[in-house]
Amino acid sequence: MKLRFTRRSFAALPFALLTLNTLGCGKEVVRGSNDPSIDNNALSTGLDKDDIQRALKETLNNLRAAPVMNEWRSTNPPPNVAIFPIQNSTSEHIDSMLDALLGEAESWLVESGTVQVISRERQTQMIREVEGQQTAAFNPAHAAKYGKQLGAKYFITGKISGNDERSEDMRRVQYFLFLQVIDVETSAIKWQRKTYITKAIK
Amino acid sequence: MRSRLLETGGRHLQRFAAALALVVTPWVVGCGGHEARTLKMRTALDAGNAKAAIEAVNEELDVKSGKDLPKDIKGDNAILVLDRASIQQGLIDFPLSKQDFEAADKSIDMLDLARNAGDSIGEYVFSGSSGRYQAPPYEKLMINTLNMLNYLETRDLNGARIEARRLSVMQKYYRDTLDKKDNPVLGLGSLLAGFTYEKSGEVDEALRYYDEALAFTGFQTIGESVRRLAPLGSYRSPRIAAVLKGEEKPGDDDTGEVLFVVGYGRVAHKISNRIPIGLALTYFSGAISPNDRVAANKIAAQGLVTWVNFPSLAPGRGKWDIPSCRLDNEYVQLEEAVDVDTQVREEWKKIEGKIIVSAITRLIARFAVGQGIQAAAGKDSVIGLVASLGAQATLTALDTPDTRSWETLPARIAVARVRLPAGRHRVVVDARGWARTQEIAVEKGSWQVVSLMALR
Repeated sequence: MKLRFTRRSFAALPFALLTLNTLGCGKEVVRGSNDPSIDNNALSTGLDKDDIQRALKETLNNLRAAPVMNEWRSTNPPPNVAIFPIQNSTSEHIDSMLDALLGEAESWLVESGTVQVISRERQTQMIREVEGQQTAAFNPAHAAKYGKQLGAKYFITGKISGNDERSEDMRRVQYFLFLQVIDVETSAIKWQRKTYITKAIK
Repeated sequence: MRSRLLETGGRHLQRFAAALALVVTPWVVGCGGHEARTLKMRTALDAGNAKAAIEAVNEELDVKSGKDLPKDIKGDNAILVLDRASIQQGLIDFPLSKQDFEAADKSIDMLDLARNAGDSIGEYVFSGSSGRYQAPPYEKLMINTLNMLNYLETRDLNGARIEARRLSVMQKYYRDTLDKKDNPVLGLGSLLAGFTYEKSGEVDEALRYYDEALAFTGFQTIGESVRRLAPLGSYRSPRIAAVLKGEEKPGDDDTGEVLFVVGYGRVAHKISNRIPIGLALTYFSGAISPNDRVAANKIAAQGLVTWVNFPSLAPGRGKWDIPSCRLDNEYVQLEEAVDVDTQVREEWKKIEGKIIVSAITRLIARFAVGQGIQAAAGKDSVIGLVASLGAQATLTALDTPDTRSWETLPARIAVARVRLPAGRHRVVVDARGWARTQEIAVEKGSWQVVSLMALR
């Protein structure tokens, strides 16, 4: 009886070890339209589609009812509006997502039909002309200058800052996103809205 | 009757041995640990062939080219991506280096945060490399420091500021939470962060970082920048005040600035060792507890399947070389910014005792498993004895010393900062037979960063 028990154990050992060896293998590529749940999980402390959509929904709903929007609706011909990059003052490389956010805002403005949106390609060219070839990066301090040269009456821009903290078992980033509409002539802030987003690994 | 029993026992033994060999062979052959995965890469780097080194890493990561990231970057692949990031930087392929550094940074942070008690138990019972990788402080700090360099090389101050902020988060964590202060890697990181903020026009932030860099030896070239910036900002500290004492602010001229960063050699990587328990007890008797020593001595007395598997540091490479930097055929004095190899060795000294103890504890655990099998089979059972030895041998083969580390870190990094008159200049940076030659155009008030990572 004892020998039988030992034989079974011996037979089971290799299979148990092989099972352990093969666990965790196998990955598949999934399409979001087939499995919408893949968009639900946060994978990092950066910004994702869900964060951008939430932030924009809240912000653009506010802009829709803002006095500056009413002013645009009643102006004929519609004013020219430029969209300048959001200044990233966080500890995350989220510039591509901020670009996507501005792209969504741009689409919303175009669809609203209340303003003429200046193409962003022209803006890049203008920034290059203002800053010179060596430093062709957008400088927020020169935003009004770019706006004037583009013939814009207003520009939309923003700033995102973050508070990044680390403990032994957690990393948390709190984002503070500000979007603004600025009058090119006077530099007056015609509209501003803030949104908070928090992401953490724990 | 007796011969029948022996015959039956023999058949069982044969079957068992065959099954065991089938299962164990792939592990014994395939589990050389991390150092075996990087052998081809190191060999290529030793020969000065960085492209072949990238190919070797790609092969290990199972990707087609250096542009691809592995499907799974959650495990040890993150360290290989980190290795590749440094080599890409050495090849002056900064966009790919950035991509790798950023992917590895996130993954290594995730691994660090995901560590739990189970990992430690695994390290003490099963295998040294069974736990999740925990990057030592110098590695975490170097990721952001070297990636900041990538952004400065590509004149992307926004990206460089992000890396400077990430560096500060880790620095604060080590200083305030883990009470690990003053890592010399921060000297270089603070110099680059100060440079980034200076060129971004954020004077006080630049002075704050320069102040941190001045806390470490070297960085004499910061003095002139501090004297230029101080009148424009309000940040002051005893070190900044000492720099400003008795020195005039340099006058405005038509010069531009160039920062040279030269990394050379490679830090010591980890190698695996298998030595008999008797020898291990001779080497490390001071590191283990009296109880463990008694148990280990008992095992040593048996003289059977008693191997201790543990990692140690291999010699570093090229630390004592002298890099050179020529500007229009005149030599520029480089000053040491950080001796990374010394950091690796100091950090290793802190954890070496714990690693040896865990290796000996694993040996004792293996022995206990063997004893358990023997007891279950019966004290005098031949099959029980063979099974016990087989299980111990299997577990010994499975015990892979943890040789994971960032192997392509430069052993030393030196810096120089010069002001040049407007015009075109020729720069030649050379270390360990790797050279970078570049024409640079200097304008009044312009800046440039030129680096070389000679990982040979």
